[in-house]
Amino acid sequence: MHEDVLKVQDVSRIYSTDGLKVNALRSVSLSIKGSEFTAIAGPSGSGKTTLLNIMSGLDTPTSGSVMLGGKPINTMKGSELSDFRRDHIGFIFQSYNLIPVLSVKENIEYIMLLQGIGEGERRTRVASILKQVGIEGMEDRLPRQLSGGQQQRVAVARAMVSNPDIILADEPTANLDSATGASLLDMMRELNEARGMTFVFSTHDTMIMDRARRLVILKDGKVAKDEVRK
Amino acid sequence: MKLLMKLAWRNVLRNKRRTVLSGIAVGITLASLIFIDGIYIGMFDSMIRTATDSFLGQGQIHAAGFRDTFDVEKVINNSRDVMKSLGSEDLLTGFSERTVSTAMLSSAAGVNSVLLYGIDPEKERGMSMVDEAIREGEYLAPEDLGRIVIGSKAAETLEVETGDRLVITMAQAGTGELSQDMLRVAGIFHMGIREIDGGIAFVNIEKSRELLALGQEAHEIAVKFKNINDAGNRLLPIWKKYSQAGNEALGWRDLIPQLDGVMEMADLSTIITSSMVFCIVAVIIIHTLFMSLYERMFEFGVLRAIGTRPVSMSLIIFFEAASLSFFSILFGLGLGYIVMQIFSVYGINYTGIEFAGVTITELIYPVMTIRQFTFFPALVFVFSLVAAVYPAVFAARLTPAKAMQRSM
Repeated sequence: MHEDVLKVQDVSRIYSTDGLKVNALRSVSLSIKGSEFTAIAGPSGSGKTTLLNIMSGLDTPTSGSVMLGGKPINTMKGSELSDFRRDHIGFIFQSYNLIPVLSVKENIEYIMLLQGIGEGERRTRVASILKQVGIEGMEDRLPRQLSGGQQQRVAVARAMVSNPDIILADEPTANLDSATGASLLDMMRELNEARGMTFVFSTHDTMIMDRARRLVILKDGKVAKDEVRK
Repeated sequence: MKLLMKLAWRNVLRNKRRTVLSGIAVGITLASLIFIDGIYIGMFDSMIRTATDSFLGQGQIHAAGFRDTFDVEKVINNSRDVMKSLGSEDLLTGFSERTVSTAMLSSAAGVNSVLLYGIDPEKERGMSMVDEAIREGEYLAPEDLGRIVIGSKAAETLEVETGDRLVITMAQAGTGELSQDMLRVAGIFHMGIREIDGGIAFVNIEKSRELLALGQEAHEIAVKFKNINDAGNRLLPIWKKYSQAGNEALGWRDLIPQLDGVMEMADLSTIITSSMVFCIVAVIIIHTLFMSLYERMFEFGVLRAIGTRPVSMSLIIFFEAASLSFFSILFGLGLGYIVMQIFSVYGINYTGIEFAGVTITELIYPVMTIRQFTFFPALVFVFSLVAAVYPAVFAARLTPAKAMQRSM
């Protein structure tokens, strides 16, 4: 039985815009266990992006707490929070968001460089991850020289290379055609199975929902359904 | 650190057109600053040279108070000892004693009041430009006691030419008795300075001493320094040394206080110009960095999200400012050097313009100094970094979620 990697406890998030208060999340509680492959789905405005932001420490809840690896990230600030994200969370964004001026290899190495990992170790890890995500031989290319699917594979490699506790992916297939998206998801699923890495997706893509072992449906800022599949 | 520098450098090169345009703008401001400073130095060097070399001398020794009244009885105390002592001064390249008195010149056509200088013709050759300014006739010879050199304006008023006779009338020292003599015009000089060309005349010092009944005394000793900068240095002990026993020794700063005042004003004006230039540099740098920052807002959000510390975000901005500034400075130095070289060959023609009581008589050539190519670029660099503080703080304070509003 895996332990909780991430625990969201009674989290609410209220945004104030032009004097109007919007309840993006209402007392959401959720636990993610190690090695889970979870999809958080729901219609637009249901709060899934807000929840993912709060789970990753990119946003702070109005109330409630978020524990990642047993540590409360909602109270962390500045460099402490940056370092924590760097060491414990991998991010995959909707539109790849690789650093355009860095090569594939440099993009993947970026987090390891921030962590102060030596060159030899970096080289080994980069070679290994490139092989795992199926983009060997492209390490010296710039992101603009890759297809969307290839760029997203680099993003997956960047997210995984530092062995984070959890990988949070926001609509990772949104900008990909269905075949490329399916291939990417299959690859992530294989990595999840092979390496036991925890994935949480925010999505409304049925391909992700179909492949997820756990499906959390948000509606109006609340958990409407939380289903574990076999 | 190396990674952040690499990232910053590549970001600077990312939008080449913007970088080049900003670099050119900053470079031009630096080149302007170098050129303006060079022109100021060149102009004031020329003005000091014109003012001191034409006749004044770089420094003068008188009896205290003589310059206030031009009283012919106020002769230099112990002038023989002073002259002997000046002969052993290492800083000096020459000196010459003079008598100074008002005199009336009369011709058949008119009269003209002048300040009559009795000079040692040979020593005066190295002191002033009187000999070089002779346009008609010739300069005085040492044994020439019966001749006079007058300015072009005075010659015009008196309607005389070389060889014509003039009657000179002046009051003797002590008794105030009038003394007169008839002198032939040896030469007519033209310095291009109205007051000098119309109001000064030269005779042999032996003749003026005879007319003034001064014996071997003198009213003024003009001195010339090996280095003109020494003449402007009030702190040199030489001034104190000769400002004793009722005498006063003054450098050109005190002899032409209006020029010194204008130079001080020019220094202030350089500071104001520099400040404005640095403000322009700051605005260009801030604008460029913010343009670049806003363009990459999402990317900055990603960098923060994946673990880049706030301080590292600031460092990226500082490195970008430093890179931009570095190449702008290289361009500015190159441009400044080329412009200075061009104008140091062709000069700028301000001749005839009177400024601070000195008429500019030669082309102005900008002067290159080490300061222009070290201190100014260093200031531009520092200002660029100071200008980067605001965007750097902005980048450091970016919250990933807000920066990436399009996504997570």
